[in-house]
Amino acid sequence: MVDAAAIARLRAAYSDELARAATAADVQALRDRYLGRKQGAVTALWREIAHASPEARPELGRLANDLKTHIDTTLSERRAALAPSKPSTPRLDLTLPARALARGSRHPLSALLERIEHIFARMGYEILDGPEAEDEYHNFEALNMPPEHPARDMQDTLYLAHPLATRSSHLATLLRTHTSPMQIRYMETAQRPVRIIAPGRVYRRDNLDVTHTPMFHQVEGLVVGEGITMGDLKSTLIGFLRQLFGEDRPVTFRPSFFPYTEPSADIFLGCTCRGAGCGVCKQTGWLEVLGSGMVHPAVFEAVGYDPERYTGFAFGAGIERLAMLLHGIDDIRLFYENDMRFLEQFPS
Amino acid sequence: MRVLVSWLRDLVDVPVAIDRLAADLHMRGFEVASIEPWHGGEVDDAVIDLEITANRPDCLSVAGIAREVSVLYDVPLRLPRPPASPDRAPALPITIEAPALCPRYVGALAEVSVGTSPAWLVNRLAAAGIRAINTIVDVTNYVLVELGHPLHAFDFEKLAGGELRIRLARAGESVTTLDGQRRTLDPQMLVIADRDHAQAVAGIMGGHGSEVSLGTRVIALESAYFQPQSVRRTSKRLGLSTEASYRFERGADPDAPLRALLRTCQLLEQLGAGRLRPGVADVQPSTLEPRVVSLRPARVGVVTGLHVGPGAVDPAEFERILVGLGFAVDATGKEVWQVTVPTWRVDVTREVDLIEEIARSVGYDRLPSTFPALHAPPAPPDPRLERQRVARDVAVGAGFAECVTFSFVERRAALAFADEADLVQLANPLSEQFAVMRPSLLPGLVDVVSHNRRRERRDVRLFEIGARFTVRGGETRGLALVWTGAASPQHWSGTGRQADLFDLAGVSSALGERFGVDLVCDPADIPYLVSGRAAHLIMKRNGAADQSGTPETDATVVGVIGQLVASVAEARELPANEAVLVAEIDLDRLGADIDANPVVRVEPLPRHPSVVRDLSMLVAADLPAASVRGTIRSVAPPTLAEVQEFDRYQGRGIPEGFVSLSVRLTFRAADRTLTDTEVQDAVDALVAALADRHAARLR
Repeated sequence: MVDAAAIARLRAAYSDELARAATAADVQALRDRYLGRKQGAVTALWREIAHASPEARPELGRLANDLKTHIDTTLSERRAALAPSKPSTPRLDLTLPARALARGSRHPLSALLERIEHIFARMGYEILDGPEAEDEYHNFEALNMPPEHPARDMQDTLYLAHPLATRSSHLATLLRTHTSPMQIRYMETAQRPVRIIAPGRVYRRDNLDVTHTPMFHQVEGLVVGEGITMGDLKSTLIGFLRQLFGEDRPVTFRPSFFPYTEPSADIFLGCTCRGAGCGVCKQTGWLEVLGSGMVHPAVFEAVGYDPERYTGFAFGAGIERLAMLLHGIDDIRLFYENDMRFLEQFPS
Repeated sequence: MRVLVSWLRDLVDVPVAIDRLAADLHMRGFEVASIEPWHGGEVDDAVIDLEITANRPDCLSVAGIAREVSVLYDVPLRLPRPPASPDRAPALPITIEAPALCPRYVGALAEVSVGTSPAWLVNRLAAAGIRAINTIVDVTNYVLVELGHPLHAFDFEKLAGGELRIRLARAGESVTTLDGQRRTLDPQMLVIADRDHAQAVAGIMGGHGSEVSLGTRVIALESAYFQPQSVRRTSKRLGLSTEASYRFERGADPDAPLRALLRTCQLLEQLGAGRLRPGVADVQPSTLEPRVVSLRPARVGVVTGLHVGPGAVDPAEFERILVGLGFAVDATGKEVWQVTVPTWRVDVTREVDLIEEIARSVGYDRLPSTFPALHAPPAPPDPRLERQRVARDVAVGAGFAECVTFSFVERRAALAFADEADLVQLANPLSEQFAVMRPSLLPGLVDVVSHNRRRERRDVRLFEIGARFTVRGGETRGLALVWTGAASPQHWSGTGRQADLFDLAGVSSALGERFGVDLVCDPADIPYLVSGRAAHLIMKRNGAADQSGTPETDATVVGVIGQLVASVAEARELPANEAVLVAEIDLDRLGADIDANPVVRVEPLPRHPSVVRDLSMLVAADLPAASVRGTIRSVAPPTLAEVQEFDRYQGRGIPEGFVSLSVRLTFRAADRTLTDTEVQDAVDALVAALADRHAARLR
């Protein structure tokens, strides 16, 4: 006679057999044995329950139904677990090198020029561009350097064999020895307060060696207005140098001589050796980084500014020199050799 | 200027240690090149090597430095005071024939016995970097270092006629200078001559013919002032620079000649080496009036930022500084002082020069730090710089390494890229290697490719932005690109493809796009590029030309693109069998009147679907794709949104001389969905036109 205990025994027997089912065929055999429409054990249970007493029938029906659901679910689960899985996505060895992008690089000189331009642009400076082939007037005379001026010795000039007509409609006879001619051209037409920097290539008749090249880069700056003093020069250039080299670097000013400024000052940056003395600063603890001064009244006169009303300061730096100090480069020729092993150390 | 500290101490008290003295001089504007311990006599002695700027010839002497030290530490200066010579008729006849070039000539005779100098003198000269020769020469050199004034001694008995004439050289005249060189003079050069011959190049070097020797008994001493420009010019012409010319060309003290001569005689007597013959000649065709410069003490503040006046810097301090430096100050006018400039200060000509003297002595570190106020907004950056920046961004983004090469190149390298007549030559090049201005950026870049190839770099992508120079074009700014080797970086997953001209054209297209124009290739013959693999780069505005079907309007040649001919590559040591792809773009023309940062105006996004049709056709192999595209554009209705070539095939199944070209046509209208029929009509019309104009057959 069927009763609750018999159903429980059947359930336990099923659990044992399920635990032993290792293949899809075992699972199918189990399904046939328990749930088969003719010989299935649970199917047979239903037939017996039909003969049970009417009072016992609902409870036994519920238990049999639970068992059927249990077997159905667990068999499906087991079958899914045993089913052969779909072919998996092939494994990638992600420790292999990536496919590199073709990365370009900015030349350290133009990268530094751009950085300097940004620093001055933030201080409200206009950035100039101008011809590299110049005339004597803009390169020398207007800068207080008449033809026999000894200062012309300081910068041996490369001259063109024949005057060159240029798009900016001047007759060039030489390669500019500094970027100051741009400032002269600017002031000739501006006739008002100015705040400019003039970056670019300049040329001197220097033979190639560890610290000289016949072509190099400069940035020069000029601020003209009413009430501009040497104090303004000091804080501007201290600020510039600290933005470039770091806030903790000391800066000092020393009297110097340039034909186009008076008073003139050389500006020194404290060396990274912090005064201990090293090869870079030649044991002095200081690095000469900028030339500067108050605009010479003769320069104002040459461009038609009233030197009583206006004062101003000018400054200039060699970009190669700054780049060598920044990047620890000890041979200027590296900039012009363009060895890719060098260039690629400055990724963009 | 090498300054021996013990010598300096003869002229001024030095109240500090040598290191401190050097540091203080440094901060006064005399850059210290080196400090060298000196063991010549005194203990604790040193030579401080100072760099004297071109404006301060007065400091090319121990006395000049001593004067700076006296102001620096506010201590008295003790300059030598040689006794005056009795006023007699000049013993040496002197005639100045060129008074403009020699405003003053002091001369005298002295009986001498030439020997060797005492150790202390030899030591001091050695410290100054001068080799001792004999007592006479040594004493003149000693005075040169001490006072900064150059002198010269002639062997009087070798002077024909026993006289000196200061005159211009005669045409073809020559003189053998003390260094043994025979020098041919030109008639603009000033010489010191006897009755017959030049005996010295004035202010530069004496002549061999009247050189003082051990047998010399009487010397003619010269202490003169020569015009700086004249000495400078002659020195340059002869390629001869001496201690004397170095000082004269920067400007000697016109008041020094007599003093320097008397000091020389005083030393000769002290050494027992000579005795002045009374009667010093002092020929001065014109007298120099001392310069007087006005100074407004308040102006010192205007220029330096110092606060001048009560409670701040006292103008009396300015006066002390100027007087200490040898200026005579008349401060009776409170607002405006009259300052007389000492004759040795050739650099001081206007008020600002006095202000510098004051600022330098006060010390730059004492000037206040202020920041200049902005009174107007800054102007926008120069558009040329913006264009360069954009071009640089595009090239770097495309994987190119930026180079900077010299603007001058070898003539041979330049000739590959320009005619001889178009080359801009240098008058005084450093070497053959740098003889002409580059007509193009390419010769420099090609050499850089070669440099890197020799260093095991096979894949090279380089660019440069810079100026080019030609006689016809003047100075222009360009961008050049060079590409050789693989199209993409090497990877383990496969063998890379070599870069081709379509890769490079992709970079120029991207550049054009960035400027808001189309840069398209127009095949052309260019001497340095392989025929059939060369094109001009043509600028077309905004793709507008392409849209309207009139492709040739508003087109300008702005550059070239192609494969470098093997002969040029080989000449620069590149392998001939590997393609070197180059492009060069004129950034002045490309950007002449267009914005480097064009403002984007947004097109509405399509709201209706597009219809795509692919056409594959057989056309003649030499028919440019641009012609096919042009025909399609000219016939198609405005609904043709895009034409894209997607396949080009030659080979099996394609007749000889033909090519199969496949294009994808995308039709779209902004306001409706296109019907099949209207698209088919458009395609039919296209096909008919292609058959008609190019004998194209659909496949």
